[in-house]
Amino acid sequence: MSDTQWETYEVFHQSRRGKPHEHVGSVHAPDPEMALQMARDQFARRLECVSLWVVRTKDVTGTDYQDPDFFSRSFDKSYRDPKGFNAPAKIEPDTP
Amino acid sequence: MTGISPNIPRDPLLKLLVALADDELILGHRDSEWTGHAPILEEDIAFSNIAQDEIGHSLALFTFYSELTGKSPDSMVFERPWKDFACCRFVAYPKGDFAYTVVRQYLFDEAEQVRMNSLLDSSFEPIRGLATKILAEEAYHLMHSKGLVVRLGDATEESHRRMQQAVTDAFPQALGMFETLNGEADLVKAGVVKPSDVLLQQWLERVVPTLTDSTLKTEARRSDGTWNIQCKPDHGGRVGNHGEHLKQLVSDLQSVYRTAPGAGW
Repeated sequence: MSDTQWETYEVFHQSRRGKPHEHVGSVHAPDPEMALQMARDQFARRLECVSLWVVRTKDVTGTDYQDPDFFSRSFDKSYRDPKGFNAPAKIEPDTP
Repeated sequence: MTGISPNIPRDPLLKLLVALADDELILGHRDSEWTGHAPILEEDIAFSNIAQDEIGHSLALFTFYSELTGKSPDSMVFERPWKDFACCRFVAYPKGDFAYTVVRQYLFDEAEQVRMNSLLDSSFEPIRGLATKILAEEAYHLMHSKGLVVRLGDATEESHRRMQQAVTDAFPQALGMFETLNGEADLVKAGVVKPSDVLLQQWLERVVPTLTDSTLKTEARRSDGTWNIQCKPDHGGRVGNHGEHLKQLVSDLQSVYRTAPGAGW
């Protein structure tokens, strides 16, 4: 059986300059140029967008859920956590 | 209501606006017929977007027309009899297979580039802003349709065969986009528009090399810097000589409105 589906590309969308690009989904396309156009039609029409990235799905290297040890938490390493002070959510000005 | 200065020929200008608005509306309608039926999900979405854009351009042109005449866009779109439409016959043909749609969209998008660019320095100033806005969206339509033509023209035996058939069918039809409107000579003299045959040459200069590079044959040959057409152009739309396709389309388009004309939400 031949596969006539186009490859998929993962789409990353930046809503404002300075913010990180966020993964919003994927598109099928014959090549990166068309993938960008497809991404525009699918993900940039209703959201505010200043930048779009597309990456071939097969170029994404990722971890395997079957291997949780990659994020090994066997030993208590709480000494690495920033504890011992409270970072307040809101900074109040000093009142004299 | 906006006035037209006496040096601008009023009737030919109004005829032109309606012709351009009708082209956009009817093509947009045909494009929208793919929603839910396109061969690829992403193309379904893309053509739905393109359809909305074209109908938006039609609305912009009809709104401009209404500022000059007082006739609302709704009355023009939903109350006019199909024989009064001034679209070219090209845009009313059924959507065909996807190759025909892609080729039609490409030929139309290139024509839009040529026509809207020619209006950027029109002596009728208000039309310049309208042309600028339409061009901004049309740039992306062209990127999309040209991208597909260039890829499908020579991809596989089947894609080439379908695309060549589409070009063979659509090319003579597309020439109807440049059928000379009544009163055009006056508009040209007043500096409102450039002549249709000049626009046609510019369009051929764009489409024929692109199609040829994609291994698609047309019936146009260049000699001494001028393009010559070797097929009969599908003219008649500008003077109301339409086929049954348009009659059916307009009937569908107007059917809901006609159950309660003038009703509001």
